[in-house]
Amino acid sequence: MSNRPTFIAAVEIGTSKVTVFVGEYNGRELAIIGHGECTSRGVIKGSVVDYKAASECTHSALEQAERDAGERIDCVFLAQTGAHLEGFYNEAAVNVKAADNMIDRNDIRMVSDLAKSKELPAGRAVVHHIRRPFRVDGRLVPSAPENLVGQKLEVGYWTVHGQEQRIADNIHVIRGFNLEVRDLVLSSLASGHMVTMPEERQHGVLAIDLGAGTTDFALYRDGVAHTTGVVPVGGAHFTNDLSIGLRLTENQAEKLKLRFGRANVQCRDKNDKVWLDGNFAIGDRQFSRLAIEQITAARARELLEVVKKKLGGAFTPETCAAGVVLTGGTAKLAGLAETAAQVFGVPARLGETPSWVAENLRDPGSNTALGLLYWGLSGQNERQAPARRSGGLLSGFKRLFASS
Amino acid sequence: MNPTETNVPLSRSWKDIPQQVKPRAMSSGGRRRMRFGLAKTVGAIALLGLLAWGGVSLAVVLQQGPKRVPGQAEAAPIRDIVLATDGAINREWVVRTLGLPKNATLISLDLYQLRARLLASGQVLSASLTRNFPATLTVSLTERLPVARLMAQLGTEPPHLLLAARDGVVFEGIGYDESTTAALPWLEGVQLTRKDGVLQPIPGMATVADLLSKGRIEAEHLYRTWQVVSLARLATDGEIEVKTAEVPRIIFGTRESFFPQLARLDLLLDTVRAQSAAPFKEINLAIGATVPVAFDGLTAAAPATAGKSSSAKSSSPRSTNVQFKTKL
Repeated sequence: MSNRPTFIAAVEIGTSKVTVFVGEYNGRELAIIGHGECTSRGVIKGSVVDYKAASECTHSALEQAERDAGERIDCVFLAQTGAHLEGFYNEAAVNVKAADNMIDRNDIRMVSDLAKSKELPAGRAVVHHIRRPFRVDGRLVPSAPENLVGQKLEVGYWTVHGQEQRIADNIHVIRGFNLEVRDLVLSSLASGHMVTMPEERQHGVLAIDLGAGTTDFALYRDGVAHTTGVVPVGGAHFTNDLSIGLRLTENQAEKLKLRFGRANVQCRDKNDKVWLDGNFAIGDRQFSRLAIEQITAARARELLEVVKKKLGGAFTPETCAAGVVLTGGTAKLAGLAETAAQVFGVPARLGETPSWVAENLRDPGSNTALGLLYWGLSGQNERQAPARRSGGLLSGFKRLFASS
Repeated sequence: MNPTETNVPLSRSWKDIPQQVKPRAMSSGGRRRMRFGLAKTVGAIALLGLLAWGGVSLAVVLQQGPKRVPGQAEAAPIRDIVLATDGAINREWVVRTLGLPKNATLISLDLYQLRARLLASGQVLSASLTRNFPATLTVSLTERLPVARLMAQLGTEPPHLLLAARDGVVFEGIGYDESTTAALPWLEGVQLTRKDGVLQPIPGMATVADLLSKGRIEAEHLYRTWQVVSLARLATDGEIEVKTAEVPRIIFGTRESFFPQLARLDLLLDTVRAQSAAPFKEINLAIGATVPVAFDGLTAAAPATAGKSSSAKSSSPRSTNVQFKTKL
């Protein structure tokens, strides 16, 4: 077997920027050796609308990452988001075939295939089948139920599917750089795995990734993703609201949002004014801080409520003991955690990148790309070495980040 | 049907989406990567092909016997000796000197020893021997050119002819015909010495060779008449004496360039011949522009008008000395 390491790129084609991380994977450990970033063009709400523009910026980020790494990328893990992504839950049950009621691999395969067999509408393709825990005669079994005894085996899958053309567009952007897309990972799962701990996922946690064009969320229960979803609203809408409300250009509105925007209103003084640029140049003007906060806070609350509404019955404060974790570039908006706590009725916090990640990579906007490598390599590792002990990859992952 | 398989239709996955894109949909970076990948593939195939070809060739050689070529060379006796030289040495002398045993093979030859045998002859300046498989020995020689000849009696041997090269090395002329050696002047006043059985080079021969070559090139009509060149007074007085058919003694000095001396001699001979038929006894070119000339058996007044200016000094019943002043 060749000892040559594999150079994997994690690519997130976002609405505001394209992020690329290059990881060197030697079969046991991964080291981040390159990083590339480029302002995104031709992408709206996570979907490619201008192939050429999106290709140019993505390829630019890939080239930058390759230069930074000093190696040629072998394959790509690609983040997938967009309003076209939907999910549904489907479960199946089989009677255990063996006379002694001992569950074997065939029973597990049979029930899994049945649960995944739901037919999709035309033009839709599956992105993920996320398995929920097995149940043997109603009893929850977190791991594989092989050799357990029972009469009825049940399992459910949360299936995420998307519009085939939109997915193909994203893949073709990468293929335009003559790179193979090895795995496609839902953005919410990638970032969710980075900012939540296994214990939190076991107890129930809601990870919300607020990007520029979309907001991805993943609700974890019993250690696995229970429900995922995408809301086609993000930080760009905050900017747009400010732009319309205060009659500003988008650039000016973005500047105000970053400097004075808040997800909750703290200003009580109507006469408290802030300068647009602060340099007293021609065109510089004053705006009411209260107005800015009111606009951004209203949009933030509305966005979180939309997420809550989309979760529906899947989310209850009781089943989300670990609370809400916020990540993504828009999560840097001041007061967002407090607003999220009010909306969801559970504790909320800003997601922290694990301490074993190098200091220069700790940015909420980079969590999705980092999580891509983690998620993708977890899946790859399972395929290559199913009997690998748990935690091995994580410890290796920690070492690599510590060294990067 | 395999009992472990299920007949449940699986939904279409993103992995079923074809990833291939047309080259026109690729960016320049993508096309560059594609070309690089293609070049890598072609290179790998070429390398594999080369390795395969090398393997097959090796297998063929091994199959035919790995020691076939050197074994054959070792087994075959030398069939030919090829000589390449810039002089007169002939192949027969080389074969005789090398003295290769019958049925000798190229591998068995000690080329250094053979080269030493060739160099033992002073005529050979340098020699190189090359094995040309399967059975040819090539000998390349550079020879010394003779500038004079001498008769020498070494020990009890009868006197025999030797040739002297420009660097003073004395050798037996191998391959030279008689007319070539007959054109060379004789050397006189030379004492040959031996060291470790080898004749030592003649000291001062380079100066003599310079005079001879100047004479041959610049005054060929004079050089043709030179019969004997004496080195007897070269070391002591810096003079070289030349005996010609017309003048018994022409003295050249080594302190002055030979070219003006030859010119003076030429002028003097032409002038004197035009005015007198008296035989010469001696012409001394070693003292500069004034050239004393001695005539044999001249009793009349000296040819005072010879040259640009001349004056008779003295005369005797048997010989007359005249000084010629030349302006050259």
